[in-house]
Amino acid sequence: MEPVLMILIVGYVVIGGLLASLGAHLLPVGGAPAAMGTATGIATGTVQIMLGAVMTGLFTAASVATFSDSLLLVSLSGAVGATVMMCVVMFMANILYAFGCGIVPVSGRVEVDPITKEPQSPYKTPQTDGHGVPNVVYISGTIGGFLAGFAGALMYYALLNYAHFSAGLAAIVALSIFVANAILAAYNIRGTIEGFHDPKFKRLPKALISSFAVSLLCGIVVVLAATILGGAL
Amino acid sequence: MTVTPAVIEEEEPTKKGLSFKFPPEETEMGLIAGIIGAVIVIFTGLPAVIKGVGLLLVLLWGMDSVRKTSKYGLGTGVPSIGVLGTGYGVVGALMGLAVAEYGRVGQLYPAVLVGVIVMGAIGLVSGVFANGEKFIAMKIPRLERAMMELGMAGTLAILLECSILTGSLNFAAVVNNVMNTGLIALLFIFNCFAMLHPYNACLGPDERRERTRICAVEISGLIWVLLGFAMIGLGTSPYGILDGVSMIVFGVIVWVVFFRMFIKACMDECYETVGTGMIKTIE
Repeated sequence: MEPVLMILIVGYVVIGGLLASLGAHLLPVGGAPAAMGTATGIATGTVQIMLGAVMTGLFTAASVATFSDSLLLVSLSGAVGATVMMCVVMFMANILYAFGCGIVPVSGRVEVDPITKEPQSPYKTPQTDGHGVPNVVYISGTIGGFLAGFAGALMYYALLNYAHFSAGLAAIVALSIFVANAILAAYNIRGTIEGFHDPKFKRLPKALISSFAVSLLCGIVVVLAATILGGAL
Repeated sequence: MTVTPAVIEEEEPTKKGLSFKFPPEETEMGLIAGIIGAVIVIFTGLPAVIKGVGLLLVLLWGMDSVRKTSKYGLGTGVPSIGVLGTGYGVVGALMGLAVAEYGRVGQLYPAVLVGVIVMGAIGLVSGVFANGEKFIAMKIPRLERAMMELGMAGTLAILLECSILTGSLNFAAVVNNVMNTGLIALLFIFNCFAMLHPYNACLGPDERRERTRICAVEISGLIWVLLGFAMIGLGTSPYGILDGVSMIVFGVIVWVVFFRMFIKACMDECYETVGTGMIKTIE
């Protein structure tokens, strides 16, 4: 295999890992408290949300990759797929909270919405940590979904076109590397996060360092495997 | 005059149906499962049921690692660490399958173990980063070792499943039969379940290792059944259709036996089982 391709594979895998880690920090993760309506976000763990987003992204990216060789087109289609999935989930969560539980979407971490400047604390139920998916969290989650889908599709593209894996193998390996990075980010978040305005977002660099190391190693493993196989499959 | 003691000491209730104590300790379990799994994964010509026994041991090992890590509270739920193990397993299996042809003697593929070792190293690195004070600082005792074991167990499990499904560890055969047919997605999820579900289902203040392990064996039985059907569908086994049928039969037996044992253990160990009848409706 040419050295340029090797560097490209490792580079794209590392970029994908870093974007996955960043995306995980931007998503509104509510965990178990959100299932009871006492925390902001979607009512499940980071890993489940990230898996759902990247799976949808890989579906759209793989469909586009069958008739296009453009890196940007494939990656963006993955990003769009994941974004649509995240937006639908957040929207449906809001509908359920508003019309099912009768609570308004409100952030628990900030007094005033940083984007729309709407007051948050008067609407928050005492003793809770916010409800539903308010505006700033929705925007943050949309960006997070976009980055997560982009990361997954970028890795898929590199494995498919530079390492010459078959489509199924490229998808499952991209998913695996993505999952490892997302889980390191999840450990950094520890439970719930709202998005870029959350105080926990300042812990991001630590997760990025860890993600960089792990995805670099995974990228080297992929390059080694592809070199040994000699582009056979 | 006899004085009755203030507190009548109750006898410890004897625990029935819980004789599943093989091997007693976590380190021993890791060594035994690792060595047996590694030996079975090299000999690809074995019948599927023997490989299935190796798979069962390896999955039990992975479940043990998940259990001893999640005991301290991860903050993101037990499933995350099980998914991590399987994700590492796929990458490790890719590495192992890529080098499998080197040093191959007939049906023996000793080189696949390179993938297991590489993934152990990557698991160790991620454990150091996750536990390190300067990095994510999880502060979980022995997280490094647990992540290393998870990577190795996940890799061995995926390799054994590929070996069961294709009858060899040839990269082209595995890609055509397992990856491109989409079976890998099922294996991914079922491996995750076998590793994360037992502890996720049983966790609590009176969680007991033996009971959790019974649940893990029961899920392995289900995986055998799934693999058996997949083998019959693919028709790649050197022993013909009998291999797949035996997998299904043994899988069903394992599932029935251990599911009964698990339910019995739960019934025995719960504080009290009270039948309250149906809830009355107001009419």
